[in-house]
This record gives sequence, structure tokens and C-alpha cells, in this order.
Amino acid sequence: MFISLQLLHMSVFSQSFSPCGRFLAAGNNYGEIAVFSLSAALSPDASEASQKPILNFTAHDGPVFSLLSTDTHLLSAGNGEISAWSWAELIKKVRISCSVNDNSLIVGGGDNNIHIMDMETGIFKSVLKGHTDYIHCLCFKEREEEILSGGEDGAVRIWDARTNRPVHCIEVFKYEECARPQFGKWISCLATDSDWMLCGGGPSLSLWHLRSMSPTSVFPLPGCQREAVFYQDLIMSVGEGPHVSHCLHGGTVKAQIPCTPSSLNTLALNLKNSEHRVMTVGGSSHQIDVFTNFSYRAFSLSF
Amino acid sequence: MSSDAVKKRKPKVVRNEAGTPETKRSRAEGDQVTYPAGPHLIGQRKLITAKNQEVRVYNEEVELEDRDPQQDYMLYKDTCADLAKLMAEIQELKSSGAKVGSVEIEERHRQCSVHFITLKKLNRLAHMRLKKGRDQTHEAKQRVDVLHLQLQNLLYEVMHLQKEISKCLEFKSQHEEIELVSEEEFFQEAPAEISRPHVTRDDNHQLTLARLDWELEQRKRLAEQYKMSLARKEKIQKAIEQKREYLSSLQPGLQNIMQASLPVQEYLSMPFEQMQKQAEVARHLPPPLYVLLVQAAAYGQACDKTLSVNISGDVDEAKALSRRPEDSQEDESDSDAEEEQQNTKRRRATVGVQLEDKRKAMLRRHPLSLCVDLKCKDGSVLHLFFYYLMNLNILTVKTKVSTATDLSGAVSAGELLNSESLLNCLYASDHGKETPNPANRYQFDKVGITTFADYVSDLGHPYVWVQKLGGLQFSSDGAQSELRGSALSASHMEKTMKLLRGRLQARLALHKQFSSLEHSIIPVSSECQHLFPAKVVSGLTRWTMMSYQEFTELGFVQHVLKAGLVCETDLFFMAVVERGTARLLAAVVLNPRYPEVMPLFSLSLHWKGERSGRTEDNLRAMESEVNVFRAELQGPRPGLQLLTNQIQRLCVCLDVYLETESQVCDGSEGPREFPREKMCLRTARGPSRLKPFKYNHPQGFFSHR
Repeated sequence: MFISLQLLHMSVFSQSFSPCGRFLAAGNNYGEIAVFSLSAALSPDASEASQKPILNFTAHDGPVFSLLSTDTHLLSAGNGEISAWSWAELIKKVRISCSVNDNSLIVGGGDNNIHIMDMETGIFKSVLKGHTDYIHCLCFKEREEEILSGGEDGAVRIWDARTNRPVHCIEVFKYEECARPQFGKWISCLATDSDWMLCGGGPSLSLWHLRSMSPTSVFPLPGCQREAVFYQDLIMSVGEGPHVSHCLHGGTVKAQIPCTPSSLNTLALNLKNSEHRVMTVGGSSHQIDVFTNFSYRAFSLSF
Repeated sequence: MSSDAVKKRKPKVVRNEAGTPETKRSRAEGDQVTYPAGPHLIGQRKLITAKNQEVRVYNEEVELEDRDPQQDYMLYKDTCADLAKLMAEIQELKSSGAKVGSVEIEERHRQCSVHFITLKKLNRLAHMRLKKGRDQTHEAKQRVDVLHLQLQNLLYEVMHLQKEISKCLEFKSQHEEIELVSEEEFFQEAPAEISRPHVTRDDNHQLTLARLDWELEQRKRLAEQYKMSLARKEKIQKAIEQKREYLSSLQPGLQNIMQASLPVQEYLSMPFEQMQKQAEVARHLPPPLYVLLVQAAAYGQACDKTLSVNISGDVDEAKALSRRPEDSQEDESDSDAEEEQQNTKRRRATVGVQLEDKRKAMLRRHPLSLCVDLKCKDGSVLHLFFYYLMNLNILTVKTKVSTATDLSGAVSAGELLNSESLLNCLYASDHGKETPNPANRYQFDKVGITTFADYVSDLGHPYVWVQKLGGLQFSSDGAQSELRGSALSASHMEKTMKLLRGRLQARLALHKQFSSLEHSIIPVSSECQHLFPAKVVSGLTRWTMMSYQEFTELGFVQHVLKAGLVCETDLFFMAVVERGTARLLAAVVLNPRYPEVMPLFSLSLHWKGERSGRTEDNLRAMESEVNVFRAELQGPRPGLQLLTNQIQRLCVCLDVYLETESQVCDGSEGPREFPREKMCLRTARGPSRLKPFKYNHPQGFFSHR
């Protein structure tokens, strides 16, 4: 009875696919990370059991707000700490936390700052200060080596990764087309695709042209969007409301696909593995919806 | 003798000869007639005359002896021949014409007459010879007869004597039946004057006599002893009688003492008398009730002084039942079969009545029942009445709660102490509506009972734990436990009693809490004050009870129904918390096993529109705050504060929600409806920007979990 009570009040905050693309890791509000086997769930003879996690462990005290996969490791961030888990070990259903040797990790924290950490040594290399409220989202423009960050204070700041200095600051809520004062000014989702940037949250989801630093299209989505991605020529976003929105660059909402959780926190696309090309969304429910064809929900994984 | 014979014969002779008149006349005159007869007539003749002349005795018998029968026979033949010749001559003469009175004829007539006389004599002689012969034969015969008789007599006597001898020989004297001591023993033991060895060694007869004597003496002695022993026994018997009377006279005295000691027993709480009486009655209890009694009494004595067990009911009926249990069962099965046959043959209205009777018989309760009382510290008592249904072989229980203080007031608490549902789900999913004995299904089919639930209110609830306490294990309970009877009962007793007590206390606590909730006061005890800030502005305005139907119709509880966390036996309530214009509706699902199972809250906020936990993440977070954190909310040990703490926390969360919501500007720049009073580190966190609902105690601020 207690387990089902917990499940009733569970929310999924973050997801990440494994480097090989066959596994999905999801973090929830109780601090647990569950690893699902996509190959088992997508196979023709999948059963109820294959929609359950193959591994479920408590990673943090507080909710696991973000998960990130590198080539070998899964990084999870909770309430003030970042843990790294080896994918190889996780697949073997063993969990140990160990460090990673790769590039740097950019961490946006609740202390209103962005920290850059060297993943080999685990030492924080630099701090980017500028936000006045906590940072919701980060993304990285690889070509220009720029970091974009959006925060509760409503500003999208663009930083130069090499010099660690702020380059631009866009206060989205000041733009009339996007602003939605009844919701607030916070920015909770950011995505970039070379010259384009998507941002949304309190203000409506809007597509910006970074050269001109102006919004080109505004998407008339009712709720506040929490995560948005570019996919081919579509924009997919999730947020408040039990659906995944497919939008076109022009600003029209092409489709809204219903899903189980009443509001969604995270959207992930498995592009690394061509066999298991799925989209998974998670939110205010213990179930994670899996879309094999991005137009409709196929089945749900359950914690 | 011979003279007599002559005398007798003489008249005969005379009369015989009357046929020939001349002979007779001649004799009477006494003339002597000389017959020209032959020499055969020569003999002596005796004549007796009156004149006393010379007496001639003519004895023909004597003459007879001299004559030779052969000669006589020849004479007879000659005579006959002569006669025949004469007759022939006469005939000739007559036929030749001679006269009748001629001389030749007369001559021949005379000769014929003579011959006739000869014939007569011969006849007479023949007769006499015959008679003589006969007489001789007769005499001989007589002699032979006499001898024969003598012989017979002797033979008879011989036989008699032989019989007597054989009888004598067969005679078993009684003395042989007496078991005598063996000879050696006899010679050893008997004194000399009896045994007399010098005589008896030679003579068997004397030996036997001696032995008999000795036997007699011994027996006499033993008879003496026997009489004495009998007398002693009588004496002792009398003494026993006396003593018995004395004892029975003590009995009433003892009874009085026992009566008088009852108050003392109660005072010292050692109710021996009561226990004895109970043990007496307990012998007539059916086995499951007996097991229950023993285990409950043992548990009460050992662990729990506040538990007491009594037997109530009709002992006589129980005794009557125990005398004929098998007969009635057999009769029932036979009569069932008969009645079924009858029923199929003729279907009339009486079938219903028969069926009703059969049902009643099947559902019969044993006349004795157990009453277990559980007392709680605050003086309230839970009375449990256990009944045994004989034919179904299950135990049922009925409950009653008596409280020290009068419970009144709380309208919504009506269901709490309802005896029907008080013990519902003591163990998970033990609803007590169906009989746990799978065999009853077949019995019910026979009498047409479809659900046992119809009879439950009458007969009591057949919970599974009740069966276990009585040591009854049914296979549907899962084959895990291998305990039977007393062991099963003992293993469940403690846990069940604790659960029962917990249940009663929880319900009573809830009852009290409800009555203050209905007055819009949330009773928070001092131990739990630290969970909440000092100032809570939102207040409970309404607390009412709902039915299952009403609950399912609410829009914002569908997720709970879908998750299967609700069933019909739960209790449903509606709480309304208000602050200013904001109204929060909370639908509460209270499981009968409270406080083991947390009450489940579902929220719906009416403030500037309607939001529920489904539509808004913050309300969902509030639900989670109230529903999930049992360890914090349950308070001190028995956890009876759970519900009230949950409601208080709900109020606190609403406060936080309303106050932090105002941070979002809603267009109008006027004064906020709910000024910010709560101290929060941060008002939003995470992608869903949840509010800080967690209260930190001494510091008094709110943070996120």
C-alpha cells in the first residue's frame, strides 16, 4: 500500500539515454534513479516485466533534477551534489560512484552561478556569475563554444566558454510578443541549433535568431514549457499539460500528442541508436511514456 | 371228585336216555334189564336205591381206563356197519311187502336199538375220553402256568436286583464332589485322631471317611471365621456410615465459607470459585470455543491483565446437544435426502417453508458463547461475543463498545464505532462478509443460501482471525501455516489482541477528534506542535462524512480510484479549509486499519478558478506532503494523531501556497490578498517550480524537500 502511495506521488524530473542507446536512466523526486532496458521493452515479446526498471537505486537525498550521459558515465545531479555512475556498471546492475575522465562539465546551480568542472580531476575550473536567481537550464553551442543559460530571473545569458565572460543577456520577459506576465518571467527551457535558440517558461516558447537577437516566432502553447528540443525540422516541447507539442519553425503548433503524466518535466530523444529510436517523456507520474513513432504514445515504462 | 362227577353225570345219563323211553322206564323201575349186548357192556355199575339194597357202583370212568380206544373205534365201525346192514334188510323187507309189525322187522328193530345203544355208549365213552384228555391237558397246562409264573417272578426279581446293583454301583456319593485336600496334605495336616493312618492307609473306605471328616472340621472352622469377619465388616460399615454423615453435614458449612470468601477473593483478585465454575461450564463448550477460552484466559493471565473471558449461554441446552450430536447429524443428512426427493416430486408453497427451516437448522448457533472483554486505560471496554455455528464449523464474533464517558456529538463519527464495521479489516482484506470455510459452499447450495452476508448481521462476522483464534484452519488461508488447534490460536492471540485494542483506541481517539473537527478545531497535541509553525491562518471550516457513492462522483479523486487504493469498506470524509477567498476541498479516504494505513487526501482548490492535484504540480506536491510522510506525522507511539496532524499540515501548506503564489503578479498591482508571512528560503525550485512546503522546526522556515 505504501509503495503504491509513493508511486502515486512520484514525479520524473530527468532522463538520459546510455551511450549505446539501449538503456534509459530516469531520476525521480525521491532521489532514485531507475535504469530501463529499451531493447527489452521494444522487443516484440515484451511483457509487463520488461516495462519495469532493471535497476533502481537511491542516488541522492533530494530529487534528481538532471541526468547527463557521457560516453562512459552517467552523471546525476541532486540537491547539491553531482554523482557519476559508470554505465558499464549500471548495465551490470551494480552501482558505484566514480569519477570520469573526459572534458569539462558545466553545472548550473541553485546558487545562481554556473560552474565549470574539469571532469578528469573533479576540480571546479571556473565560475560564471551573473544570474540573480537560480538557473533552470543550460545548453552549449559547440560551434562558437558558447554557453547559454536560462534562469528563474527571466534572463537568458550567453557566455563565452573560452574566456568565461558574459557575451549577451536577453531578458525575454521584456519582449511583448513572448511575455506572459500572468505566469511569470522565469525561463525554464533552452535549446540551440546553430543560429537558432528556443526558450520558454513563464513567457511563451519562442524561437530566436541569435544573430539578430530577436524572436522570430512565438508558439501559442498554453502552459509553461519545461523542455524543448530541435528535431529535424520540428520543434518538440513539453511542459504543463499532458501532451507533447510538435511545432514548426514558422510558429504553428502542428500537433499535441497526449500522454499519461498530467504535466511533463523532461523529454529525451534517443538518437544514438538507430534501432531504438524513441522519444521518452516523463513528468508528474511514475510512468515514462515511450514514443516509437513520434506521433503517438506506444507504451509506458513504470518505476 | 370222581363221585361228584358221577353224581353229576348220572342225571345226565338219565336225561340222555330219556330219548328211548324204554330204557328210562326201565331204569326208574329199577329193573335190571339185560341187554343182549356184547361183552363190552360188562362192567361195574353203581346204583343207589332207596331200599339200601346192595349198592352197585357203576363207574364208567374206571371202565374207560380199561378199554382201548382203537378197539372202540373198530367196534364203532362194526356197529355202524351192522346198523347199515340191518337197515338195508329192513328196507328190503319193507319193500318186499312185509308187514310193519312182523317179527323179522321187529327183530331187526331190536338189533338196531341195541346197536344204537352201543353207539350211544361209544359216543359217551368218546366224550368221556375227550373230557379226560382235556382235563389232563388242563392240569398240565395249569402246572405249566404256575411254573411259568414263578419263572416270570424270578426273572423279574433278577432284573430288579440287577438294576439295584447297577444303581448301587453307579451311585456317586456327594462326597466325591467335595474337593478334598490331597492325600499327602491330609496326612500332613490332619491330627492323628482323624487321620488314623494305621487304619486308613490300608483301607480306602476309611481313608475317604477320614478325609471327609477332616474336611468337615476344616469347613466348620472356616465358617466360624467367616461369621466373625462378617460381623467385623458390619461394624466397620456402620462406622463408615457415621463418618459419611458427619462429612455431609460439613458440606453446608463449607458452602457458607465459600460464599463468605467470595468478597475476599475479589478483593485479592484471585477468583478461584469463578474459575472453577467456569471450568465446569467449559467442559460443554464446542472445541473451537474451548481452544479460544483456554488461550484467551492464558494470555490474559500471562500478558494482559485487562483481558477477561466469560462463558455465557444455556448450559443445559449444551449438555443436551452433546448427548446426541451424531444422531442429529445423521438424521439431518437422511432427512435432507428424503426431503429433496419429496421436493422434486411435488413443488408447492411449502417448499419455501421447509427450506427456511433447513436454513435455520444449518445456521444454528451453539447455545454457549464466549464473551471477551478488553479494557483500555481510559475505561472504555471492547466486548467481543464469540459464537460457534455448529453445522458450518465456523466461529463468528459480535462486538459492543462501552465507554467510560458518554460519546456524543460527532455526527460524522457515527460509523466509527458501529458494531457492524468496527472490526472490519483488522487484518488486511479480512472483511468478514463471507464464510472462510470452503466446505460451507456446498452446504449453502443445498439450502439455497446464496450469500452469507445476509445473515452476518444476525449471526456475527466470521472473520479469518476469529477462526484462527479458535484453532480452525481452512485450506483457503494459504498452505503456509502448519499449526493446528491450540498452537495456531496461541500464535495469533497476542497479535490479534493488540490489534483489537489498537483498533478500539484508534476509533475512540478518532471519535473525539471528529467531534472537535466538526467544531472547526483541529486538535493538535503538545507533542506534535513542533511539526507546525506557531501561526496557522487557514482554518478548517467543515468536516463531513461522505458515502462511497459520493466519493466516486468527485472529479479530483479519479486517480486514487484508478490506482486501486480505495475500496468500499473505507470511510470517506470531506474537509474544507478556507482562507480568505480561497477554498480547499480535501476528500479523505480513511482505511478501517487506521492508523496502520495512512488516510489519503485528494485536493481541489477553488481560488481564481478551480485547480486540482491533476492540473497543478503544486497541489500535487501538497498532496504528497500530506499523504506520504507518515513517520513525521504520526506523532507519539500509537500514532493516533495522524489524521489531525495531516489536516493541520494541509492548512499550513495552503498558507504557504497562497502566500507564495502572490509573488506572481496577476496584472493588478494592488495589495496582495495574502501577505507574505512565512519565511521561505526560496519560493520555487526545480523544473516544476514547486513551492517550499517543508517546515523546519526550531528555525521556523520553509524549504523544499
